[in-house]
Amino acid sequence: MKIHRCYLAAMTQAVFLIAAAPLTHAQDTTSDGYVTRKEYDELKAQLLAMKRELDAIKKEKTVAPKRERSENQAVASTASTQGNLEGQNVSDLHKDVSSAVVRPVSESAGSLLGTTKFLLAGWAEGMFEARNGQVSTFSASFNPIFLWELTPKLLFDSRLEIEPSGAGTNVNLVNAQLSYLLNDYMVLGVGEFFSPSNVFVERFEPQWINKLPDRPIGVYHGILPNISVGAQVRGGFPIGPTRANYAFYVSNGPVLNTFDARTAGTLDFNSYTDNNDNKAVGGRVGFLPIPGVEVGYGFETSKPGFQGTAFHDVQALVQSVDLEVTRDSDLLKGRINLFAQYAWSRVDHAVYDPDGSLGFGPLPLTAKRDGGYAELAYRPTKLDIDFLRNLELIFRWDHLSRDPSGLGDPEETRSTIGLDFWLSPSTVVKAAYEWDQPDGQPNKNALLLQAAMGF
Amino acid sequence: MRRNCSYVAALTLLLCASAGWDLFAGPKADQTTTNQSASAASNDSYMGLSGEELWSNNCLRCHNIRPPTMYGDAQWDVIVHHMRLRANITGQEQRAIVEFLKSAK
Repeated sequence: MKIHRCYLAAMTQAVFLIAAAPLTHAQDTTSDGYVTRKEYDELKAQLLAMKRELDAIKKEKTVAPKRERSENQAVASTASTQGNLEGQNVSDLHKDVSSAVVRPVSESAGSLLGTTKFLLAGWAEGMFEARNGQVSTFSASFNPIFLWELTPKLLFDSRLEIEPSGAGTNVNLVNAQLSYLLNDYMVLGVGEFFSPSNVFVERFEPQWINKLPDRPIGVYHGILPNISVGAQVRGGFPIGPTRANYAFYVSNGPVLNTFDARTAGTLDFNSYTDNNDNKAVGGRVGFLPIPGVEVGYGFETSKPGFQGTAFHDVQALVQSVDLEVTRDSDLLKGRINLFAQYAWSRVDHAVYDPDGSLGFGPLPLTAKRDGGYAELAYRPTKLDIDFLRNLELIFRWDHLSRDPSGLGDPEETRSTIGLDFWLSPSTVVKAAYEWDQPDGQPNKNALLLQAAMGF
Repeated sequence: MRRNCSYVAALTLLLCASAGWDLFAGPKADQTTTNQSASAASNDSYMGLSGEELWSNNCLRCHNIRPPTMYGDAQWDVIVHHMRLRANITGQEQRAIVEFLKSAK
């Protein structure tokens, strides 16, 4: 009996051992799909690490927008963090934030996205022109604008004009300027820039902005400068409830034409390298009495004669007035635009080809020219019919006086009526008819068709 | 020549007078664009004008305005920076316009 009990106890222990064996084994291997305590601890440690990393990313993400805003004012900002934030203007507030934000280690090591901002903008256009006395022709151009914001205060902008010509392609550098925002009211610029006194060239020349297919003659052809190479300072500021703006520049200036009887006494603004040590000084001041209305006065004074010649001290003065009006009318169910500019140029008295060696002198001349344009446009933006709302009706009058020698181009006056259809805010199809009557010559009336897209 | 100048002067006078006439109002964003940005509002203000008003007043003076959704935030930074040089707007106006364009999306 005692032996039987021993057998029973031994068998019971054996059963427990056999039953407990898999459990013991499970702690050492994963053959049945379970994990060991060690693996569990490792996974838990990894999960906690990931959670900490996620929390850090979330925290950084909430700081990033503040940092981005502060960077808009941060460059070269040395503003003190002292002082009461209340009562400070927005600019100062940004500066304080920028100096208070501590950049994370990851950013100081270098961001993958970088800090500069580059944008390719511009426009493209295709055009058909049938002008009386000339062969009809298609033309096209691509005008990329490169904008590179190196910092929130530094911008480089440049425009190319690329167009087919003859058997090849013309590529022109239209402008290339580096500008620096000195403060809220002043910007410094250096390089090749649009002349501030020529409002059309500076603001309305892109063909998705210009409402007619061609450009007014009055603001080209040597009366107003269009591109200047030099340095400028410009900006805007409030005057009570009104606003004013200014732009002043120093540039190489124009070249006085002296070698051809047809153009004697006129100014060549397309010669960008200087011909003397004298620099042209010019500018424009604008005044906005109410939103949507601006009047301006521009000028440029220069000594355009070649150095070392009799024309060295000849003085030239260009002046202009301009008006821009944009108004909405409930009664007319649309928007009215008026753009107008008129310019006068004067070159002091000089004798051209004094010894007759060029075959047209001596030609004493005080060269005076004038020209300008006025453009009125109406678009029924308040109508409910989409098709009509996308139409725009334009009328333009432009004028250019004859060349001062009386031997060149005659006085020319044009009237143009156009109809635009806007496919998008910056894509337009234009049709226009131009009555062009040079004084004493056959008319140069023209049919103009154009499609233009800004991007 | 005098006749031509008279035409310009008359036209200019006419439009100046009409500008002050209450028949006309300052430029506003068109219906389509306004609807796209109607849900957005900017707290920035300058001379009593909101970012949206500054945007429409300044941009519409020269060209049609493009909807805020047309460009990304970084692109608007560059574009408005560039336009500040052309339109001679102030730094405060620039910031208010950018803030509106970003919030309107």
